[in-house]
Amino acid sequence: MTCNKYENALLLAAASNGEPDATLTRHLERCLKCRIALRSERELFSRIDRALRARVNEDPPPGFLAQLRLQLSKELTPRPGSNRVWHVAGAALALVLIAIFYPLVNAPSSVQGNLQRPAVRVSRSAGVTQSAHTGEDLKVRLRHHSKRPAAQSAVPQEPEVLVPPDEQKALAQFVACVARRDAMAEAVVTPAANKTVNTNTELPQVSLVDIADLQLGRARQQEWISETGSSE
Amino acid sequence: MQEFTWPGRTAETGLAFDLEKAALRREFEQRLEECGTLAFRVARGVLRNAADAEDVAQEAMLRSYRCFARLRDPSRFRAWLVRITFRLALDHGRSARRREQRESSWATDLPKSTSEDIAAANEFGRRLQEAMVALPEKSRLVLLLAGMDGHALEEVAKLLHVPVGTVKSRLHSARKQLAEKLR
Repeated sequence: MTCNKYENALLLAAASNGEPDATLTRHLERCLKCRIALRSERELFSRIDRALRARVNEDPPPGFLAQLRLQLSKELTPRPGSNRVWHVAGAALALVLIAIFYPLVNAPSSVQGNLQRPAVRVSRSAGVTQSAHTGEDLKVRLRHHSKRPAAQSAVPQEPEVLVPPDEQKALAQFVACVARRDAMAEAVVTPAANKTVNTNTELPQVSLVDIADLQLGRARQQEWISETGSSE
Repeated sequence: MQEFTWPGRTAETGLAFDLEKAALRREFEQRLEECGTLAFRVARGVLRNAADAEDVAQEAMLRSYRCFARLRDPSRFRAWLVRITFRLALDHGRSARRREQRESSWATDLPKSTSEDIAAANEFGRRLQEAMVALPEKSRLVLLLAGMDGHALEEVAKLLHVPVGTVKSRLHSARKQLAEKLR
Protein backbone atom coordinates (compact mmCIF):
# COMPACT_ATOMS: atom_id res chain seq x y z
CA MET A 1 0.00 0.00 0.00
CA THR A 2 2.83 2.32 0.93
CA CYS A 3 4.67 1.50 -2.34
CA ASN A 4 1.63 2.32 -4.54
CA LYS A 5 2.04 5.95 -3.54
CA TYR A 6 5.46 6.01 -5.20
CA GLU A 7 4.48 4.23 -8.39
CA ASN A 8 4.16 7.30 -10.60
CA ALA A 9 7.34 8.87 -9.25
CA LEU A 10 9.14 5.61 -9.83
CA LEU A 11 7.98 5.36 -13.46
CA LEU A 12 8.88 8.99 -14.05
CA ALA A 13 12.36 8.42 -12.65
CA ALA A 14 12.81 5.36 -14.83
CA ALA A 15 11.54 7.08 -17.99
CA SER A 16 13.59 10.24 -17.50
CA ASN A 17 16.67 8.19 -16.68
CA GLY A 18 17.55 10.75 -14.05
CA GLU A 19 18.00 10.67 -10.30
CA PRO A 20 14.81 10.11 -8.24
CA ASP A 21 13.59 12.96 -6.08
CA ALA A 22 14.38 13.10 -2.37
CA THR A 23 11.14 11.52 -1.19
CA LEU A 24 11.46 8.55 -3.54
CA THR A 25 15.13 8.17 -2.71
CA ARG A 26 14.29 7.89 0.98
CA HIS A 27 11.65 5.28 0.19
CA LEU A 28 14.00 3.31 -2.06
CA GLU A 29 16.57 3.11 0.73
CA ARG A 30 14.01 1.28 2.84
CA CYS A 31 12.13 -0.74 0.13
CA LEU A 32 13.89 -3.52 -1.75
CA LYS A 33 10.82 -4.25 -3.90
CA CYS A 34 10.73 -0.72 -5.27
CA ARG A 35 14.46 -0.74 -5.92
CA ILE A 36 14.02 -3.90 -8.00
CA ALA A 37 11.04 -2.37 -9.77
CA LEU A 38 13.00 0.78 -10.60
CA ARG A 39 15.91 -1.24 -11.92
CA SER A 40 13.57 -3.33 -14.01
CA GLU A 41 11.80 -0.27 -15.45
CA ARG A 42 15.11 1.39 -16.25
CA GLU A 43 16.24 -1.75 -18.02
CA LEU A 44 13.05 -1.81 -20.07
CA PHE A 45 13.37 1.84 -21.13
CA SER A 46 17.00 1.30 -21.91
CA ARG A 47 16.17 -1.68 -24.09
CA ILE A 48 13.50 0.27 -25.94
CA ASP A 49 15.89 3.14 -26.55
CA ARG A 50 18.63 0.81 -27.75
CA ALA A 51 16.32 -0.95 -30.17
CA LEU A 52 15.00 2.34 -31.50
CA ARG A 53 18.43 3.88 -31.85
CA ALA A 54 19.77 0.82 -33.62
CA ARG A 55 16.95 1.01 -36.04
CA VAL A 56 16.84 4.72 -36.83
CA ASN A 57 20.60 5.09 -37.07
CA GLU A 58 21.06 2.28 -39.53
CA ASP A 59 23.08 3.40 -42.52
CA PRO A 60 21.54 3.00 -45.94
CA PRO A 61 22.82 0.11 -48.09
CA PRO A 62 26.03 0.87 -50.07
CA GLY A 63 24.30 1.27 -53.42
CA PHE A 64 21.56 3.49 -52.11
CA LEU A 65 22.96 6.88 -53.07
CA ALA A 66 24.22 5.64 -56.44
CA GLN A 67 20.80 4.25 -57.18
CA LEU A 68 19.23 7.53 -56.11
CA ARG A 69 21.49 9.51 -58.46
CA LEU A 70 20.57 7.16 -61.29
CA GLN A 71 16.90 7.71 -60.61
CA LEU A 72 17.41 11.47 -60.62
CA SER A 73 19.22 11.29 -63.96
CA LYS A 74 16.30 9.36 -65.41
CA GLU A 75 14.02 12.02 -64.05
CA LEU A 76 15.97 14.71 -65.90
CA THR A 77 16.12 12.86 -69.23
CA PRO A 78 13.17 13.88 -71.40
CA ARG A 79 11.09 10.94 -72.45
CA PRO A 80 10.82 10.24 -76.19
CA GLY A 81 7.60 11.43 -77.72
CA SER A 82 6.87 13.85 -74.95
CA ASN A 83 6.66 16.81 -77.27
CA ARG A 84 4.92 19.74 -75.70
CA VAL A 85 3.15 20.64 -78.96
CA TRP A 86 0.88 17.66 -78.54
CA HIS A 87 0.22 18.51 -74.93
CA VAL A 88 -0.74 22.06 -75.85
CA ALA A 89 -2.86 20.90 -78.79
CA GLY A 90 -4.64 18.34 -76.63
CA ALA A 91 -5.37 20.89 -73.95
CA ALA A 92 -6.70 23.37 -76.55
CA LEU A 93 -8.93 20.73 -78.11
CA ALA A 94 -10.30 19.78 -74.72
CA LEU A 95 -11.10 23.43 -73.99
CA VAL A 96 -12.91 23.85 -77.30
CA LEU A 97 -14.98 20.72 -76.72
CA ILE A 98 -15.89 21.87 -73.24
CA ALA A 99 -16.88 25.29 -74.56
CA ILE A 100 -19.15 23.67 -77.16
CA PHE A 101 -20.82 21.00 -75.08
CA TYR A 102 -20.97 22.60 -71.66
CA PRO A 103 -23.86 25.00 -72.45
CA LEU A 104 -25.84 22.17 -74.07
CA VAL A 105 -25.36 19.83 -71.16
CA ASN A 106 -26.02 22.41 -68.48
CA ALA A 107 -28.80 24.36 -70.20
CA PRO A 108 -31.98 24.82 -68.13
CA SER A 109 -34.61 22.20 -68.82
CA SER A 110 -37.05 24.85 -70.11
CA VAL A 111 -34.62 25.78 -72.86
CA GLN A 112 -34.09 22.16 -73.79
CA GLY A 113 -37.83 21.70 -73.84
CA ASN A 114 -38.14 24.73 -76.03
CA LEU A 115 -35.95 23.09 -78.64
CA GLN A 116 -38.05 19.98 -78.70
CA ARG A 117 -41.61 21.21 -78.15
CA PRO A 118 -43.74 23.92 -79.67
CA ALA A 119 -43.38 27.25 -77.98
CA VAL A 120 -46.92 27.27 -76.61
CA ARG A 121 -48.12 24.33 -74.64
CA VAL A 122 -51.54 24.31 -73.03
CA SER A 123 -52.58 21.19 -71.24
CA ARG A 124 -56.02 19.64 -71.26
CA SER A 125 -56.55 20.58 -67.65
CA ALA A 126 -56.61 24.17 -68.70
CA GLY A 127 -60.03 23.52 -70.11
CA VAL A 128 -59.36 25.41 -73.29
CA THR A 129 -59.33 22.46 -75.62
CA GLN A 130 -62.37 20.80 -74.14
CA SER A 131 -65.87 21.44 -75.24
CA ALA A 132 -67.00 21.70 -71.63
CA HIS A 133 -65.71 25.27 -71.65
CA THR A 134 -64.66 25.44 -68.03
CA GLY A 135 -63.01 28.79 -68.44
CA GLU A 136 -62.78 29.42 -64.72
CA ASP A 137 -60.32 26.55 -64.38
CA LEU A 138 -57.97 28.02 -66.88
CA LYS A 139 -54.59 28.53 -65.31
CA VAL A 140 -51.89 29.58 -67.60
CA ARG A 141 -48.66 30.92 -66.31
CA LEU A 142 -46.77 33.30 -68.47
CA ARG A 143 -43.13 33.07 -67.91
CA HIS A 144 -40.11 33.72 -69.98
CA HIS A 145 -37.53 31.00 -69.77
CA SER A 146 -34.62 33.34 -69.12
CA LYS A 147 -36.23 34.62 -65.91
CA ARG A 148 -37.01 31.19 -64.62
CA PRO A 149 -35.28 30.34 -61.33
CA ALA A 150 -33.02 27.30 -61.37
CA ALA A 151 -34.79 25.77 -58.39
CA GLN A 152 -38.01 25.52 -60.41
CA SER A 153 -36.42 23.93 -63.42
CA ALA A 154 -37.64 20.54 -62.32
CA VAL A 155 -40.86 18.96 -63.54
CA PRO A 156 -43.52 21.69 -63.53
CA GLN A 157 -46.54 21.12 -61.32
CA GLU A 158 -48.89 23.28 -63.39
CA PRO A 159 -49.27 23.72 -67.11
CA GLU A 160 -47.16 26.51 -68.40
CA VAL A 161 -46.79 28.51 -71.55
CA LEU A 162 -43.42 29.54 -72.80
CA VAL A 163 -43.89 32.78 -74.66
CA PRO A 164 -41.35 35.20 -76.04
CA PRO A 165 -41.43 38.52 -74.18
CA ASP A 166 -42.83 40.55 -77.08
CA GLU A 167 -45.81 38.23 -77.42
CA GLN A 168 -46.72 37.97 -73.78
CA LYS A 169 -49.15 40.89 -73.79
CA ALA A 170 -51.05 39.58 -76.77
CA LEU A 171 -51.33 36.13 -75.30
CA ALA A 172 -52.50 37.56 -72.02
CA GLN A 173 -55.33 39.33 -73.81
CA PHE A 174 -56.20 36.17 -75.66
CA VAL A 175 -56.29 34.15 -72.46
CA ALA A 176 -58.49 36.77 -70.84
CA CYS A 177 -60.89 36.51 -73.77
CA VAL A 178 -61.01 32.72 -73.43
CA ALA A 179 -61.69 33.08 -69.74
CA ARG A 180 -64.65 35.36 -70.58
CA ARG A 181 -65.81 32.78 -73.13
CA ASP A 182 -65.55 35.08 -76.09
CA ALA A 183 -67.01 33.27 -79.04
CA MET A 184 -64.14 34.12 -81.34
CA ALA A 185 -61.47 33.01 -78.89
CA GLU A 186 -63.22 29.78 -78.09
CA ALA A 187 -63.63 29.04 -81.73
CA VAL A 188 -59.90 29.43 -82.25
CA VAL A 189 -58.87 27.04 -79.51
CA THR A 190 -61.66 24.50 -79.96
CA PRO A 191 -60.47 21.39 -81.83
CA ALA A 192 -61.68 21.09 -85.39
CA ALA A 193 -63.68 17.93 -84.61
CA ASN A 194 -65.90 19.86 -82.18
CA LYS A 195 -66.47 22.80 -84.43
CA THR A 196 -69.53 23.19 -86.61
CA VAL A 197 -68.03 23.67 -89.98
CA ASN A 198 -70.07 24.97 -92.87
CA THR A 199 -69.68 22.28 -95.47
CA ASN A 200 -71.58 24.19 -98.19
CA THR A 201 -69.07 24.70 -100.94
CA GLU A 202 -71.43 26.36 -103.47
CA LEU A 203 -70.71 29.86 -104.60
CA PRO A 204 -72.97 32.54 -103.14
CA GLN A 205 -75.77 33.74 -105.45
CA VAL A 206 -75.35 37.33 -106.58
CA SER A 207 -77.91 39.23 -108.64
CA LEU A 208 -76.79 40.48 -112.05
CA VAL A 209 -75.70 44.05 -112.40
CA ASP A 210 -76.49 45.99 -115.58
CA ILE A 211 -73.79 48.34 -116.76
CA ALA A 212 -74.88 50.93 -119.31
CA ASP A 213 -72.63 51.89 -122.26
CA LEU A 214 -70.64 55.00 -121.81
CA GLN A 215 -71.96 57.76 -124.03
CA LEU A 216 -70.62 61.27 -124.26
CA GLY A 217 -72.37 64.22 -125.85
CA ARG A 218 -70.66 66.07 -128.67
CA ALA A 219 -69.97 69.17 -126.62
CA ARG A 220 -68.50 67.07 -123.85
CA GLN A 221 -66.43 65.16 -126.39
CA GLN A 222 -64.94 68.42 -127.76
CA GLU A 223 -64.18 69.58 -124.27
CA TRP A 224 -62.42 66.33 -123.45
CA ILE A 225 -60.29 66.56 -126.60
CA SER A 226 -59.23 70.08 -125.81
CA GLU A 227 -58.25 69.07 -122.29
CA THR A 228 -56.26 66.00 -123.24
CA GLY A 229 -54.96 67.20 -126.59
CA SER A 230 -55.82 63.88 -128.14
CA SER A 231 -58.37 62.92 -130.75
CA GLU A 232 -58.77 59.37 -129.41
CA MET B 1 10.17 18.25 -86.62
CA GLN B 2 11.07 21.62 -85.20
CA GLU B 3 11.14 21.83 -81.41
CA PHE B 4 8.27 23.70 -79.86
CA THR B 5 9.08 26.95 -78.12
CA TRP B 6 6.71 29.00 -76.06
CA PRO B 7 5.84 32.42 -77.42
CA GLY B 8 8.24 35.01 -76.07
CA ARG B 9 10.88 32.47 -75.16
CA THR B 10 14.02 33.41 -76.92
CA ALA B 11 17.35 31.65 -76.91
CA GLU B 12 18.52 33.92 -74.07
CA THR B 13 15.54 33.18 -71.85
CA GLY B 14 15.86 29.51 -72.68
CA LEU B 15 19.51 29.57 -71.68
CA ALA B 16 18.68 31.35 -68.42
CA PHE B 17 16.01 28.76 -67.74
CA ASP B 18 18.45 25.91 -68.32
CA LEU B 19 21.08 27.56 -66.12
CA GLU B 20 18.58 27.98 -63.33
CA LYS B 21 17.60 24.34 -63.67
CA ALA B 22 21.22 23.25 -63.53
CA ALA B 23 21.80 25.37 -60.42
CA LEU B 24 18.83 23.79 -58.73
CA ARG B 25 20.11 20.36 -59.64
CA ARG B 26 23.53 21.15 -58.16
CA GLU B 27 21.91 22.48 -54.99
CA PHE B 28 19.83 19.36 -54.66
CA GLU B 29 22.78 17.08 -55.22
CA GLN B 30 24.68 18.85 -52.46
CA ARG B 31 21.93 17.85 -50.08
CA LEU B 32 21.54 14.40 -51.55
CA GLU B 33 23.90 12.51 -49.27
CA GLU B 34 22.77 14.05 -46.02
CA CYS B 35 19.09 14.10 -46.86
CA GLY B 36 19.09 10.70 -48.53
CA THR B 37 20.39 9.16 -45.33
CA LEU B 38 17.86 11.08 -43.27
CA ALA B 39 15.03 9.86 -45.50
CA PHE B 40 16.26 6.29 -45.26
CA ARG B 41 16.45 6.44 -41.47
CA VAL B 42 13.00 7.90 -41.07
CA ALA B 43 11.61 5.19 -43.34
CA ARG B 44 13.59 2.53 -41.53
CA GLY B 45 12.18 3.68 -38.21
CA VAL B 46 8.68 3.06 -39.50
CA LEU B 47 9.19 -0.05 -41.61
CA ARG B 48 10.38 -3.46 -40.58
CA ASN B 49 12.95 -4.21 -43.26
CA ALA B 50 15.67 -2.18 -44.91
CA ALA B 51 14.66 -2.99 -48.48
CA ASP B 52 11.25 -1.41 -48.02
CA ALA B 53 12.84 1.58 -46.30
CA GLU B 54 15.18 2.01 -49.26
CA ASP B 55 12.30 2.04 -51.73
CA VAL B 56 10.36 4.53 -49.68
CA ALA B 57 13.36 6.79 -49.21
CA GLN B 58 14.04 6.83 -52.96
CA GLU B 59 10.45 7.65 -53.72
CA ALA B 60 10.49 10.44 -51.15
CA MET B 61 13.69 11.90 -52.58
CA LEU B 62 12.33 11.84 -56.12
CA ARG B 63 9.15 13.56 -55.04
CA SER B 64 11.08 16.17 -53.14
CA TYR B 65 13.30 16.75 -56.17
CA ARG B 66 10.27 17.34 -58.39
CA CYS B 67 9.00 19.96 -55.95
CA PHE B 68 12.39 21.40 -55.00
CA ALA B 69 12.17 24.30 -57.45
CA ARG B 70 8.83 25.35 -56.00
CA LEU B 71 10.06 25.33 -52.43
CA ARG B 72 10.15 28.95 -51.27
CA ASP B 73 12.35 28.39 -48.27
CA PRO B 74 15.09 25.84 -49.02
CA SER B 75 16.17 25.89 -45.37
CA ARG B 76 13.00 24.02 -44.55
CA PHE B 77 13.80 21.26 -47.00
CA ARG B 78 14.84 18.79 -44.30
CA ALA B 79 11.62 19.23 -42.36
CA TRP B 80 9.65 18.87 -45.55
CA LEU B 81 11.52 15.72 -46.54
CA VAL B 82 11.00 14.18 -43.10
CA ARG B 83 7.24 14.66 -43.37
CA ILE B 84 7.06 13.29 -46.92
CA THR B 85 9.12 10.25 -46.00
CA PHE B 86 7.21 9.56 -42.82
CA ARG B 87 3.89 9.74 -44.64
CA LEU B 88 5.07 7.48 -47.47
CA ALA B 89 6.51 4.98 -45.00
CA LEU B 90 3.25 4.83 -43.06
CA ASP B 91 1.31 4.17 -46.28
CA HIS B 92 3.82 1.55 -47.33
CA GLY B 93 3.64 -0.11 -43.92
CA ARG B 94 -0.13 -0.28 -44.02
CA SER B 95 -0.20 -1.91 -47.45
CA ALA B 96 2.57 -4.33 -46.39
CA ARG B 97 0.56 -5.36 -43.34
CA ARG B 98 -2.48 -6.00 -45.50
CA ARG B 99 -0.35 -8.10 -47.84
CA GLU B 100 1.06 -10.07 -44.92
CA GLN B 101 -2.40 -10.77 -43.60
CA ARG B 102 -3.41 -12.13 -46.98
CA GLU B 103 -0.32 -14.30 -47.26
CA SER B 104 -0.39 -15.53 -43.66
CA SER B 105 -3.61 -17.41 -44.34
CA TRP B 106 -1.70 -20.07 -46.32
CA ALA B 107 1.74 -19.63 -44.75
CA THR B 108 0.64 -20.89 -41.33
CA ASP B 109 1.46 -24.44 -42.35
CA LEU B 110 5.11 -23.60 -43.01
CA PRO B 111 7.67 -24.94 -40.46
CA LYS B 112 8.71 -22.35 -37.87
CA SER B 113 12.26 -21.43 -36.90
CA THR B 114 13.72 -23.71 -34.29
CA SER B 115 16.42 -21.35 -33.05
CA GLU B 116 15.22 -20.00 -29.72
CA ASP B 117 17.78 -17.21 -29.60
CA ILE B 118 16.70 -15.79 -32.88
CA ALA B 119 13.11 -16.15 -31.86
CA ALA B 120 13.69 -14.35 -28.57
CA ALA B 121 15.58 -11.52 -30.25
CA ASN B 122 12.96 -11.17 -32.89
CA GLU B 123 10.20 -11.34 -30.36
CA PHE B 124 11.17 -8.07 -28.73
CA GLY B 125 11.55 -6.41 -32.13
CA ARG B 126 8.17 -7.66 -33.22
CA ARG B 127 6.49 -6.47 -30.04
CA LEU B 128 8.25 -3.12 -30.30
CA GLN B 129 7.04 -2.74 -33.86
CA GLU B 130 3.48 -3.52 -32.84
CA ALA B 131 3.68 -1.09 -29.96
CA MET B 132 4.98 1.64 -32.25
CA VAL B 133 2.22 1.09 -34.78
CA ALA B 134 -0.28 1.67 -32.01
CA LEU B 135 1.25 5.04 -31.12
CA PRO B 136 -0.23 8.31 -32.39
CA GLU B 137 1.60 9.42 -35.54
CA LYS B 138 2.88 12.65 -33.99
CA SER B 139 4.40 10.83 -31.02
CA ARG B 140 5.85 8.21 -33.29
CA LEU B 141 7.63 10.74 -35.46
CA VAL B 142 9.05 12.52 -32.43
CA LEU B 143 10.31 9.20 -31.08
CA LEU B 144 12.07 8.37 -34.36
CA LEU B 145 13.65 11.78 -34.83
CA ALA B 146 14.79 12.04 -31.23
CA GLY B 147 16.39 8.63 -31.51
CA MET B 148 18.59 9.67 -34.44
CA ASP B 149 22.18 10.55 -33.72
CA GLY B 150 22.86 14.24 -33.69
CA HIS B 151 19.23 15.18 -33.22
CA ALA B 152 18.83 17.16 -30.03
CA LEU B 153 15.33 18.02 -28.91
CA GLU B 154 15.77 21.55 -30.29
CA GLU B 155 16.60 20.11 -33.70
CA VAL B 156 13.50 17.89 -33.57
CA ALA B 157 11.38 20.87 -32.57
CA LYS B 158 12.79 22.83 -35.51
CA LEU B 159 12.08 20.01 -37.95
CA LEU B 160 8.51 19.61 -36.79
CA HIS B 161 7.81 23.34 -36.25
CA VAL B 162 6.65 22.79 -32.68
CA PRO B 163 7.94 24.13 -29.35
CA VAL B 164 10.59 22.14 -27.50
CA GLY B 165 8.15 21.57 -24.65
CA THR B 166 5.76 19.85 -27.03
CA VAL B 167 8.56 17.58 -28.23
CA LYS B 168 9.44 16.66 -24.64
CA SER B 169 5.88 15.84 -23.67
CA ARG B 170 5.29 13.80 -26.83
CA LEU B 171 8.51 11.91 -26.31
CA HIS B 172 7.74 11.16 -22.70
CA SER B 173 4.23 10.03 -23.54
CA ALA B 174 5.45 7.80 -26.40
CA ARG B 175 8.11 6.06 -24.30
CA LYS B 176 5.64 5.51 -21.48
CA GLN B 177 3.11 3.94 -23.85
CA LEU B 178 5.79 1.70 -25.34
CA ALA B 179 6.92 0.57 -21.91
CA GLU B 180 3.35 -0.24 -20.90
CA LYS B 181 2.92 -2.45 -23.94
CA LEU B 182 6.30 -4.14 -23.60
CA ARG B 183 6.29 -4.65 -19.83
